[in-house]
Amino acid sequence: MTLWARFRSWAAASLRRSRMETEMNTELRFHLEAYSEELVRRGMPPKEAMRRARLEFGGIEKAKEGCRDARGANFFESLLQDLRYGLRMLRKAPTFATIAILTLALGIGATTAMFSIINAVLLRPLAYRQPDKLYLIREGISEMAQFYPSFPANLSGFLRWQSQCRSFEQIAIVEPAGRILTAAGESQEIHGGRASANLFDVLGVQPQLGRSFLADEDHPGNDHVVILTDSFWRDRFHADPSLIGRSITLDGEADVVVGILPPTFRFPKAAQLGPLTDFAPQLDFFKPLGLDPAKFSLLGEFDYAAIARLKPGVSPQQALAELNIIQAQIVRDAKENVDLHAELWPLETQVVGPARRGLLLLLGGVAAMLLIVCANLAGLLLARIPNRLRESAIRTTLGASRSRLVRQMLTESILLSVFGGLLGIGLAYLSLHQLVRWGPIDLPRLDEVRLDTRVLGFAFLLSTMTGIVFGTLPAWRVTRTEPHHALKSGAITATESRRTRRLRESLIGFEVGASTLLLIVAGLLVMSLVRLLAVDKGFLAECALTIDVTLPPQTYTTALQKKSFYQSALRQVEQLPCVSHAGWISKLPFEGQEEVNSILASGRVTDPLRAPIASFRFVTPDYFQAAGIPLRQGRFTAESDAQQHVALISQSVADKVWPGENPIGKQFHQGGDDRPLTEIIGVVGDIRSVALDQPPLLMVYVQTGDVTNDWSGSHASLVVRTRSEPLALANALRGAIRSVDSTVPIVHLRQMTEVVAESVAVRRFQMSLVVLFAVLALGLAAIGIYGVLAYSVEQRRQELGLRRALGAQVSDLRWMILRQGMVPVALGLLAGVAASLLAGSLIRSLLYGVTASDPFTIASVALVVLSIALMACYLPARRTMNLDPMVALRYE
Amino acid sequence: MDKPLDLLQGTLDLLILKAVSLGPLHGYGVLLRIQQISKDRLEIQQGSLYPALYRLEHQGWITSEWGESENNRKAKYYRLTAAGKRRLQTEAEKWNQMTEVIAGILGTKPEEV
Repeated sequence: MTLWARFRSWAAASLRRSRMETEMNTELRFHLEAYSEELVRRGMPPKEAMRRARLEFGGIEKAKEGCRDARGANFFESLLQDLRYGLRMLRKAPTFATIAILTLALGIGATTAMFSIINAVLLRPLAYRQPDKLYLIREGISEMAQFYPSFPANLSGFLRWQSQCRSFEQIAIVEPAGRILTAAGESQEIHGGRASANLFDVLGVQPQLGRSFLADEDHPGNDHVVILTDSFWRDRFHADPSLIGRSITLDGEADVVVGILPPTFRFPKAAQLGPLTDFAPQLDFFKPLGLDPAKFSLLGEFDYAAIARLKPGVSPQQALAELNIIQAQIVRDAKENVDLHAELWPLETQVVGPARRGLLLLLGGVAAMLLIVCANLAGLLLARIPNRLRESAIRTTLGASRSRLVRQMLTESILLSVFGGLLGIGLAYLSLHQLVRWGPIDLPRLDEVRLDTRVLGFAFLLSTMTGIVFGTLPAWRVTRTEPHHALKSGAITATESRRTRRLRESLIGFEVGASTLLLIVAGLLVMSLVRLLAVDKGFLAECALTIDVTLPPQTYTTALQKKSFYQSALRQVEQLPCVSHAGWISKLPFEGQEEVNSILASGRVTDPLRAPIASFRFVTPDYFQAAGIPLRQGRFTAESDAQQHVALISQSVADKVWPGENPIGKQFHQGGDDRPLTEIIGVVGDIRSVALDQPPLLMVYVQTGDVTNDWSGSHASLVVRTRSEPLALANALRGAIRSVDSTVPIVHLRQMTEVVAESVAVRRFQMSLVVLFAVLALGLAAIGIYGVLAYSVEQRRQELGLRRALGAQVSDLRWMILRQGMVPVALGLLAGVAASLLAGSLIRSLLYGVTASDPFTIASVALVVLSIALMACYLPARRTMNLDPMVALRYE
Repeated sequence: MDKPLDLLQGTLDLLILKAVSLGPLHGYGVLLRIQQISKDRLEIQQGSLYPALYRLEHQGWITSEWGESENNRKAKYYRLTAAGKRRLQTEAEKWNQMTEVIAGILGTKPEEV
């Protein structure tokens, strides 16, 4: 109550200042008049009475000031005063102000930029309704867990869950889909999904135009409708609202556009939906599934991303238990004997989870840098203390209270940090632009990074906090000094007290420690990337080009048509000069999984579900030479094998399925024993096919056009090994493909090295930023050390001169200064190494081929830190050399 | 008449609270009432009265409103709030204890020690 009254009176006084002034005047005038009337009544002449009344009242202005103070109405006044004073002080020390503002801008800018990324990626919820209620349903078969711990969902499972499971409000499924859009004679491949009609209800997303799918559009025949994403609608149809209700041609069929999704809509990326899911990075459209129940088979294809919304009050454990009861029933109905179970993955964790650790690491790095900036500035301000002592002493003796002095000094440091912050926001804005352009595409929601109000609020808060953090220490030191002490010593060079020096030395130690920690983390990440890139990929990425093509389905309907395109294109390419080998493959390394099937060795009784599972790729004979995959045993395929059922296997298949035997000539069934036998004609080297940091998978290469396989792929990549600079061949390659069929869109033309680089892009991104922060931190720490020592030499000029005069050698003095700097450096270094060992477990998942306590990294970082620190100490120490004792003594 | 006593540090607030507890008063009235009750034995700096009034109002122990004075002029009247009443009570108790203790100390004779 009283607090409220106080605030009200303060607010009234501050906000309605003029009214308060008039009221105060009226009140005081009333007092004076009443008193003078009283005096008149006592017989005093009126003129004299008024004078007397004023006299007895005392200072009217002083009384008014007292009233204003009592109300706190002076708060803004004195703030303005402090601000003006602070600005004047900064103008008087422009070098200090510039250095301070620039380092602050760097620190605050970098932190703000990182925060805005984290804001977009981690903090801003998915643009779905109640995203914490959304779960992915995945399926697992224990017998296959050694190869594939979990699968996407299966269609018949979905139908059972939907009708029987009471734990979910609704369940939706989506499968990836590609279409060729034909408009105005041009065709273009577009990517999207085929979804159950309830998908957008489950996600809680309303189209910005038009409507969602209707329930009966799930049935075949009613499914000629399509919903477009906002970005595709903008890019391809110039955001034309009249598109709703019109039809577009997809794969030669007319589909009516019924809705446009809002710009905020994002569909989770394939990797976030779990292994074996294959959505394109950018989706253009959604179509209904067109469910045909006749086509369902129990335990059929596991291809679908299933997204379910949990009912309120139901726990995920309950839901999972219910799903697993249904799963067991499915297995019984299918008359199988496997352990089929369901898994529930929280969608939100899936979307942001993998990026979280890396981003938090970056935020930690940038925060450490900001702390070093603070320590540096605190050091600089501490160095300026002697200049301030006299001033503050005078102000204290004149009656300024200590809190007033602290407030004034804090106003100065906050002023600095707010200037730095403003500059920093500009810096963050510019660098964000670069980051988003430069950042790898896998970082989820990177495209949504922007400076919004939350980020600006953060930057503002950060600036203020920074000012308080680095300003408090010096302010506290200044006001703790006894005023008479400072005035008595009277000298302009009131020497730095031992305690202030101790403080400055601990700041050095802190800066060195923090930058050591950052450098070690950066070093470990660099080592990881180096080791990763040095890993034997199993193929040669240099001097190789790849072209990804997609065949328009309306012209390429049969396997024969596709085969003839692939063959003619290959013939055209092979004729180009400088091409040594060229070969098609159904999916490039690092580009995900496709055909996954079990290998059933002939002549053995193997349960299909327990058989080894391999990744199948379809290739043309020269693929291996083009990709630089070595032949270990047997022979490559030849054109003459086209009618035979032959395949090459990777070394690990040979080791796994036929250990200790010669696999050449062995036969196996692919998938089930009802399928024809395939004969092994060769063994090739293992390759890292999923990601550089994952061990090779079992691979089987089948020749395309092999009559036994049903590869009807419309997507394929051509790998071309060149004898000269690969990019010089790019145009000739495009031309060769066009000359076969100009309607076939070329999706990508890249060097193989780019394919590899893209696979480590996230890692490289993280590493570059941490290295950048660490180098900046070290630079700042070096400046800090230099500043402290240079200042100390300056302060101790007289003492050093005296020592010289008394016979101290220059080398002694230099050693003394060096020791003063290097002792805190050494302590900081030790602390930094210790901290990095403790932090090791936090970053373990980001490392590859190197442990957090890697002695080589730690030793090199220690060496770098020591040499930089030594240099920063040596420069000021060298000044003692030029010290003329006489000059130094006279300096006073 | 004896020379009026200077006010002890910190007692002005207590006196003001007591004065307005007897009925709403304007600033000048507070001065007059204190002088009247103390029979002119206390000297109050008129200039220090107003900051004290503003401070007490800021702390919520008194409130003010504009009214008419005896000779029909606009004047600001101060009144004790409920919080002020409690404050006055505790402050008065403290004061009484204090004077008792101090009087006891000052009244001590050598043989009593």
